[in-house]
Amino acid sequence: MSVDQRPKADEVADADSHSPQAHWRTVVHAITGWAIWQHPTARVVAVVFSALLMGLVISVPLDLQGQILFSLGSFAAALLLSKTPGRLSTLAMIVLSISASSRYIYWRFTDTIGFTHWMDAAFGYGLVLAELYAFAVLLIGYFQTAWPLQRRPVPMPADVSTWPSVDVFIPSYNEPLEVVRQTVFSAMSLDWPQDRLHVYVLDDGRRTEFREFCEELGVGYLIRDNNHHAKAGNINAALKVTHSDYIAIFDCDHIPTRSFLQVCMGWFFKDTNLVMLQTPHVFFSPDPFERNLDTFHRMPNEGELFYGIVQDGNDLWNASFFCGSCAIIRRKELLEVGGIAVETVTEDAHTALKLSRLGYNTAYLEVPQAAGLATESLSGHVGQRIRWARGMAQIARTDNPLFGKGLHFGQRLCYLNAMLHFFYGLPRLVFLTAPLAYLFFGAHVFQASALMITAYALPHLAHASVTNSRIQGRFRHSFWNEVYESVLAWYIMRPVLVAAINPKLGKFNVTAKGGVIEKAYFDWTIARPYVVLLLINLVGMAVGVWKLFSSAGDETTTLVINMVWTVYNIILLGASVAVASETRQIRGTPRVAASLPAVIRFENGRTLVCKTEDFSQHGLGLAVPPDVDIPMGSRLAVSLFRSDEEGVFPAIVTFSGKGRLGVKFDNLSLHQQAELASLTFARADAWIATWGTGQRDKPLRSLKSVIVIGLRGMGQLTATAFKSLKPLKSR
Amino acid sequence: MKVVAVVSAKGGVGKTTLTANLATALQHQGAPTVLVVDLDPQNALGLHFGADPGALAGVSRASLSGDSWGSVCQQSPSGVHVLPYGVVNEADRMAFERHLEANPDWLALQLQGLDLPPDALVFIDTPPGPSAYMQQALTAAQVVVVVNLPDAASYAALALMQRLVHTYCTPRPDFAGTLHVLNQADGARQLSKDITRVMQDSLGDRLIGVIHEDQAVREALAYDQSVLEYDTHGQAADDLRKCAQVLAQRLGLPLAGAAR
Repeated sequence: MSVDQRPKADEVADADSHSPQAHWRTVVHAITGWAIWQHPTARVVAVVFSALLMGLVISVPLDLQGQILFSLGSFAAALLLSKTPGRLSTLAMIVLSISASSRYIYWRFTDTIGFTHWMDAAFGYGLVLAELYAFAVLLIGYFQTAWPLQRRPVPMPADVSTWPSVDVFIPSYNEPLEVVRQTVFSAMSLDWPQDRLHVYVLDDGRRTEFREFCEELGVGYLIRDNNHHAKAGNINAALKVTHSDYIAIFDCDHIPTRSFLQVCMGWFFKDTNLVMLQTPHVFFSPDPFERNLDTFHRMPNEGELFYGIVQDGNDLWNASFFCGSCAIIRRKELLEVGGIAVETVTEDAHTALKLSRLGYNTAYLEVPQAAGLATESLSGHVGQRIRWARGMAQIARTDNPLFGKGLHFGQRLCYLNAMLHFFYGLPRLVFLTAPLAYLFFGAHVFQASALMITAYALPHLAHASVTNSRIQGRFRHSFWNEVYESVLAWYIMRPVLVAAINPKLGKFNVTAKGGVIEKAYFDWTIARPYVVLLLINLVGMAVGVWKLFSSAGDETTTLVINMVWTVYNIILLGASVAVASETRQIRGTPRVAASLPAVIRFENGRTLVCKTEDFSQHGLGLAVPPDVDIPMGSRLAVSLFRSDEEGVFPAIVTFSGKGRLGVKFDNLSLHQQAELASLTFARADAWIATWGTGQRDKPLRSLKSVIVIGLRGMGQLTATAFKSLKPLKSR
Repeated sequence: MKVVAVVSAKGGVGKTTLTANLATALQHQGAPTVLVVDLDPQNALGLHFGADPGALAGVSRASLSGDSWGSVCQQSPSGVHVLPYGVVNEADRMAFERHLEANPDWLALQLQGLDLPPDALVFIDTPPGPSAYMQQALTAAQVVVVVNLPDAASYAALALMQRLVHTYCTPRPDFAGTLHVLNQADGARQLSKDITRVMQDSLGDRLIGVIHEDQAVREALAYDQSVLEYDTHGQAADDLRKCAQVLAQRLGLPLAGAAR
């Protein structure tokens, strides 16, 4: 089921009704329950009074001492609130954070930009604009994520004859059949009336083996005579020749669980104006960040924030959008907006925007009901993010959600943030280089004393950090956002800017999946921008140290602040470099860790009850008693179970030792492969266990992990550099 | 005292093996007192508990000669109390069976006479199909366990067993119900899978266990061991342990120790 996003304090309050947390909750409930809040006048008065107070807090000038005292009080209140349960505390923390940040920005504009030198002005205004961007994204982000809707599944009506017909579309272009098979098998085993379930493979590659595979299984196979508009065009062509009431779309490497339709479809009965329902994208293989940094299932990945919090927050505002896969759309309304949008390369979000403009509802159900392969290599990952960024910029240019008909304010803001988010490239690069302006050129980007800057900027950053940690703790760890952004910043900056200038420029790129990285290597090409930035920052640091000992004088504080900032940037860039160090990936097909009951049947008729450790479409890892001796190469049959269902699969032992057994399936028939899929990848609970259940964020621990990885990255870079220098020397 | 009659409409379903293994499993799992009574002239139950194949004593002889059951009771290494059928000649067997026909309550009275503690568990093994022995067992039982194979014949015979249970058990107030076990299931054979499915659907929670076909069951008997000890990690052993747990739960039987 979906993840309960309540902070830890709520669990404490639930467990012990005498705890201070529980007491706090009682008091808050009593106050919010006052009848006076129901009175419109009281509400207006409260809002006006609060707004005036907020204006005062933001704009009142204070000297250094006053600002420090004020900030300390405010931050202490935030820390205290973070220990209390309830969404009202979260909202209060957001208000504190907004006031600290607004105060900083107000002070920044009124007190720090009286530049006298042209160089100071050039660097200074650049930084101010970048900060303004970050401030805007922070504010809209709070708006978007303050109150995740946390929708729960609605049960299907008991009368099965009322269930609608569904076409399952599995578009593919150049992915190997190997990858697509599992998706088709699982789609076929969806628990739904068989006369109303139609599975189609939409093959834009027009491959014979795909056609034969589909014919043998008896699933639909659709092709067209061109590849216009890529995936969007592919789906639109299929819409013309299919007829069911609903379309479920799965990328060819997203394997649905058999319960997908029954879990998702209930909402369409409850809300007849609902036309699109999206579920999370979950990956059973590590993405390049997770693989190269070894954080798989230990740290929330880049995508988890979006599916864990952002989409759920959007849902409150009826602004959750279609993400191209693992979703259901109603045919009639999809046709009304002309099918899947083809004007931009993020056709999914754009289609949802068009549906919202016509007044239809969209929904997000945070229950993982499908899982897929993450992009294999960093370059592939970067390529995919470039496409998203370019597409969002295209929508911002051609169909800006701020303007045009049909959207309410909340929807406009949520869509705006979805687009604005991808403009982080340039501001991030500005932050990564800003202190260098002072270290190299002596530019004073702030026209204020170093201590004043600290007294204003630190509360702004600290409040944002603790508040976001509370909101996002399960799905994004503090400081990791900066690592992800630093890696991608350089790459998405250009396409976004190009698309913002001319939305027509650019090409759709398909992400390659299911590959093998045969040898560990350092991806110099993709790492080049951060290596360069890292070197510049290191030089800047050296210059700083030199200045500190030679000529700092009365600017020591300024110098130190800039150096601290540079150290932080060096850590981020070091971590980015670490991501580019591609770890060897041994298996062509990823294995999914899962402990499932299994039974081995040997050729002599004896049996062994055991558990799986992992599964893939080609084999199993099994945990067996350590004293059992099973020779390599022996043939056996492995049974897997789902409640009272049993599947038996012939296999050969490929590894044996110390309580572990590796087996490879032996010549499974198509029927057996489909059965295997239904007992492994398509299990209803397959992906729920690992969703949002990792460690909660602790900002300081998280900072430490980023530092460690940053150092590791610099170590790897040095080692690689030495290695590549050696052959030159020996020549 | 709870009396469980283990019955089947047709032969060769592994009733005796199942009785022996369920009794041993429950003893392992901490059931206080477990007694098995062999009412099958094949006299095979004792073998599963390590009895001497040549031994003559048993309930048949004891009853004919008027000896007490206690004098023929043995205890297996695992602690199960065993009452074998014993070896009798044909004339004695027929005399014994006539005696049973004339006294339908014979078994029930004998068991009561043993004065077993209230948490004692008694399994009665019977020959296949309707017989004087099965009638005795059904008359004495609080719970009937029907053993089936995953084949069409077993499925077809369900109705016959139902009628017999109706005749001898259902009218009694202390009768708790009929449970089923599916023996020698094989997930690799489609027919076995299909019939397993049909039985699961039609019997619901009255089906308390599916025991898989396992070579270790046959080997265990040859090695004079219960399959639970002979192949403790095997599938049949695992299925039997699970089945025993479900049975104990349905009987409301407290299990003292953890499963071995």
